[in-house]
Amino acid sequence: MKWVSKDIETYLSAKEYVDTAVIPLYSVSFGNEMKQSASSAEFITLLTNYLERQFTGRLMLVPPYTYLKSDQYEDIMNGLKKWEEKIEKNEFKHIFYITSEIEWKNVEDELKGSLIWLPSLPLEYLNESQKMSMIESQVKQLLTLFTQKWHENL
Amino acid sequence: MSKHRVSRRQFLSYTLTGVGGFMAAGMLMPMVRFAIDPVLKAEAGGDFIATPLKIKDITAEPQRVDFTFEQKDAWYTSEVTNTAWVYKDEQDNIVALSPVCKHLGCTVGWASSEDHPDQFFCPCHFGRYTKDGTNVKGTPPLAPLDVYPIQEKDGLLYLGKAEPRTKEA
Ligand code: FES
Repeated sequence: MKWVSKDIETYLSAKEYVDTAVIPLYSVSFGNEMKQSASSAEFITLLTNYLERQFTGRLMLVPPYTYLKSDQYEDIMNGLKKWEEKIEKNEFKHIFYITSEIEWKNVEDELKGSLIWLPSLPLEYLNESQKMSMIESQVKQLLTLFTQKWHENL
Repeated sequence: MSKHRVSRRQFLSYTLTGVGGFMAAGMLMPMVRFAIDPVLKAEAGGDFIATPLKIKDITAEPQRVDFTFEQKDAWYTSEVTNTAWVYKDEQDNIVALSPVCKHLGCTVGWASSEDHPDQFFCPCHFGRYTKDGTNVKGTPPLAPLDVYPIQEKDGLLYLGKAEPRTKEA
């Protein structure tokens, strides 16, 4: 489900079925890194949207956690931990973070949710259908990851 | 001079009512349109979209077909890709089913569960449908999969807008 009122309405009436929250992590930078920053965000947006479409009924795609790349690591982490706490309290059993920032890999253990890191693919030179199949092949691998997680905690 | 001189105050209140009326109409018109629009649309809903699938390649085994079209969301136009599961039934009729689970909307796959190789399977809450799209009792979905109206043009399969199946199974 997406973060739009129509979906939230469905969510509220079917809470017990939606036990997974997906949070994209975006870093924002300006200057030289601006383009890289945008293209990663674009990639993660497409990917999480596609993922949401496959698993609409079971996962909630939360608005992305966005931070300045130049910010202090502790601040970024603490901010995200606050989100995690809130989301956990709201009956989401599984939390997934999806990002293309490699830095998160090193601090994975500090988070309770599962971190999925994917290298950002440059999509700008692809046409729509190439984009689609690229995203799709990436998401395919994620799908098994999700279903496995769900099975573990049955 | 006429006796009905319009005082400044009256003049203002007249004009304001007028303007207010215009504004109300401006707000109401779209609302009315929204209210009637779905009806109008249903009538005009003859938009069939080409798929890359050739009619002659359709077999008894459901296969996945993606087709893309433009969709307008408010001011934002985007390319949307939809999917259908297409096969020929025993009577040689082409069937095109929507992959959207009728429980809460996940995407179902054909034979994607090892335990039920001849059914549609929803990974989210293990909903199942038989080949013709009928929901399997005891699994979460409460309705059969939507069906796309189909057309054939130049040997290609064209699909309309998926509709809930009317005839009860
Ligand atoms: S969304 Fe398909 S079974 Fe729940």
